[in-house]
Formats: sequence, structure tokens, C-alpha cells
Amino acid sequence: MRNFILIIRRFFNLILFAGLEILCLVLISHAHNLQGDEIVSSANTAVGILYEKKSDMDKYFGLGRMNDSLLNENMRLRKIVDQYRTVDTLKDMPVRRELATSDTTTHVVKYADYVYRTARVINNSVDGVNNYITINRGTKDGIVKGMSVISGTGLVGRVEYVTAHFASILSILSNKQQVSAKLKDGTFKSTVWDNERPEVFLMKDMPPEAKIKKGDSVFTTSFGNTFPPDVLIGTVNVIEINKKNGKQQLYLKPATNFRSLQYVYVLENLMDAERKQLEEVPVKK
Amino acid sequence: MNVYIKNILRFCIIVILQVFILQRITLHWFTEPAGALFIPFIYPLFILLLPFETPVWLLLILGFILGVTVDSFMTTAGMHACATVLIAYLRTNVLNALMPRNLSEYINQQPSIKNMGWMPFLVYSGFLIILHHLVFFTIESWSFVSFGSLMLKVGASFVTSMLFIIVYILLFTRQNVSRA
Repeated sequence: MRNFILIIRRFFNLILFAGLEILCLVLISHAHNLQGDEIVSSANTAVGILYEKKSDMDKYFGLGRMNDSLLNENMRLRKIVDQYRTVDTLKDMPVRRELATSDTTTHVVKYADYVYRTARVINNSVDGVNNYITINRGTKDGIVKGMSVISGTGLVGRVEYVTAHFASILSILSNKQQVSAKLKDGTFKSTVWDNERPEVFLMKDMPPEAKIKKGDSVFTTSFGNTFPPDVLIGTVNVIEINKKNGKQQLYLKPATNFRSLQYVYVLENLMDAERKQLEEVPVKK
Repeated sequence: MNVYIKNILRFCIIVILQVFILQRITLHWFTEPAGALFIPFIYPLFILLLPFETPVWLLLILGFILGVTVDSFMTTAGMHACATVLIAYLRTNVLNALMPRNLSEYINQQPSIKNMGWMPFLVYSGFLIILHHLVFFTIESWSFVSFGSLMLKVGASFVTSMLFIIVYILLFTRQNVSRA
């Protein structure tokens, strides 16, 4: 017995080594044989918690890519929605394009076709009198001067200057351009910027009979021929009534947050040239 | 700093480095885009950098704990532990062969480039690392059928591991530490 203990003491390290190696091999063989190895796997609690924390962290690094993919998806969905929104249900018009329908009668007609392009904002200003936004798309991507630009939440502006790879957008925070706007009940007027804060737009001289409540949405119209119709400009924040003639002045809160703008859509109106050609002829004469 | 706290901290740092950063770097051998995938391993460095006079039984147990920790992150169930216990066992012998004096004479010191010099340290770490890789990749493939690609894997992983280990040592250990 004494000799046995002496041997163990003498070869303790070797025995421990052999024991641990055998334990390892047992673990390996178990993992290879059994389906759910619960002892050593990344499913156990402590490791699971650590991996969860790591994937939370990873998520932040992936946000940019995720945002891009969502943007592309939105572009696709907007295109599909547009196809249904711009359907003309009048019958027997001489029309540009016919939609394929299941029955032979082709009376549903599509016009006003918008092409959406995504772009990332690389420079932005909100403090000037005319504010410009630079995006990373240019003529090579099909951007042309005069295209309207919207964000995910609302109206942004119009393309003003284009180079091969960049474009400069005159945002609606500018006193160069007024936006033709309408309320839900159909009263339309144009909005102007108050030249100071990117959070405030004005709609002056609204007729007294228009029933306006705080929180009403204001949309673009197609009258101005620069912006697509029914894009949200902002919501009514404050209503001021002129005591002399009862006309109302509205302060709007823009739908787009110009300070934190990151991604925009550039809209190409395929029917724009034709419409301009038609509308400009009488003016010249 | 206390030697225990220092080594516990190093354990955490090395495991986090290995599991969360190096494990994500899967390198491909440049001629074979699909074959010979390898990962640089830095965690055996914890065993290599333990103080000189650490007894063998403690080395073995620490090696086992380290291996099982890495295993539980990588779902490899004992493969890393097996290789790490082996190098923990052989560490003392290799150091005895390389160092001029008996190991018990180096009190409160750990193997480092400053204590050992560049060449002995590289031989010491290189020998144990290549042994670790050889055992690990052999257990991983569990056969010598594709012997060539196994050796390629070991070689390529060894080179990258040594690269990372040298970078770690230059970054994280003080070069001009006073001999306490």
C-alpha cells in the first residue's frame, strides 16, 4: 500500500496528464456520438449569454448594411405601390400604356410613372438661406437636373446641379422655391420657409373658411409640376389667425428631419418632359 | 500587480481575443479557395506565459480549464483541451532544456523575450505551438487520409499564430520591466 502511494506521488503529474487527456477524449467521443451534447457546447448558459452580448454588439456594426438593404427594399415596394396608385380608371381614353388584365377588356390605364433611385447624403446644410444637400449619385446613375427628392418620411427637395458622380439638391429649406401644398380638404396654397429654423414652414393667407386643426397633414400637389403629388410635407403645428381679415397663417412641422438626413430617394418622372412640352407652348406665344 | 490577478486578467483577454476576434478570421490558402481553411490560435500563449516556477499539476489543470473554455465557445468538445493539456505537460521539459539555470531559480518571473532572449523564446513558443496545432488538427480531422492538406493547414495556421503571438507580446507585455 505504501509503495502504491509512493508510486502515485512520484508519477502524479503523469497520471494527472493521462487522466485529463482521457477526459478530453471522452468528451470528444461523446460529442461525436450524441446529438445534444449538453456539457461542452455553445448552447450552455454562460457561453450563451456572452454570445448574445457579442451579437448585440455586432448588430451595431451591421446597421449600415441593414439600412442599405431596407432602403433598396423600400424602393422596390414604392415602385409597386406607385403602379397601383397611378391607375386611371376612366374608360376609352387614348392612352399610353395598357395594364395587362385577366379579362380582355383593357380599360385600366397607367400613366405618371416614377422611377425611384436611392442615394446616400454625403453633405448637408440647414443653416443657410438656400440649403443644399449633396448625394453620392450623379449623371452616371441617371440623375438629371430637376428631379424631385424625397426621404423615407417626406419631401426633401429638387436636384439642382449634377456632376458625373454627385448631385446637389436644393432642399425645400430655401427661399428660392415654393412648394405647392394642399390640406386634406383640398385647400391648396404654397408653403414657404421661414428662413431661420429647419423645423418651421409657413403657409400664409389660408382662407378663413378652411377648417384646419392642429396636427393636420399637408401634402404636395402635382400643380407645381416639380414634385410628385401626395408626398407628405409636414403637419400643422401652430395656427395663427389674422384679426383684421380672418386669414389663417399655419406653422408646419416638416415631415423630414433635415438635421439627421442620411438616405434619400431621387424620383424620375417619366412623363415630365411630355407634360412640360404641353404646358410651356401657350406661354411662349 | 499581483501575479494571480495578472494571470486571471490575461486569461480573460486572451480568451476574448481568441473567441470573439481571431475565430472570425478564417483564412484561405491562396491557391485553394475552397480547401485548407485555417484559424490563427493565440490562446496557448496563456500557458506559455505562466511564471517559471508554476508546478506541473497546476499547469495541467489550467490548461484543461483554458481548453474547455475555448471548446465551449467553439463547440469542439474537448479538442482544444486535449491539445492544450499536452503542451501544458511538455512546457516544463522544454523550458528546462532551453534555460541555462534550474527553473526554480527564476523567482517571480515569466517566460518573455527579455528573460530568455529572442531566439530561445521563439524556439520555445514555436515548438509548443506547432505541437498544439499538430494535435489539434489531427484530432479535428481524425484521420491521416488527406495528410498533405493536414500538414498545409498546420503549417499555415502555425505561421499566422506565431505572427499574432509575437504581435501580442510586443503589444501587451512591458519590454523594460524591472526584475522584481
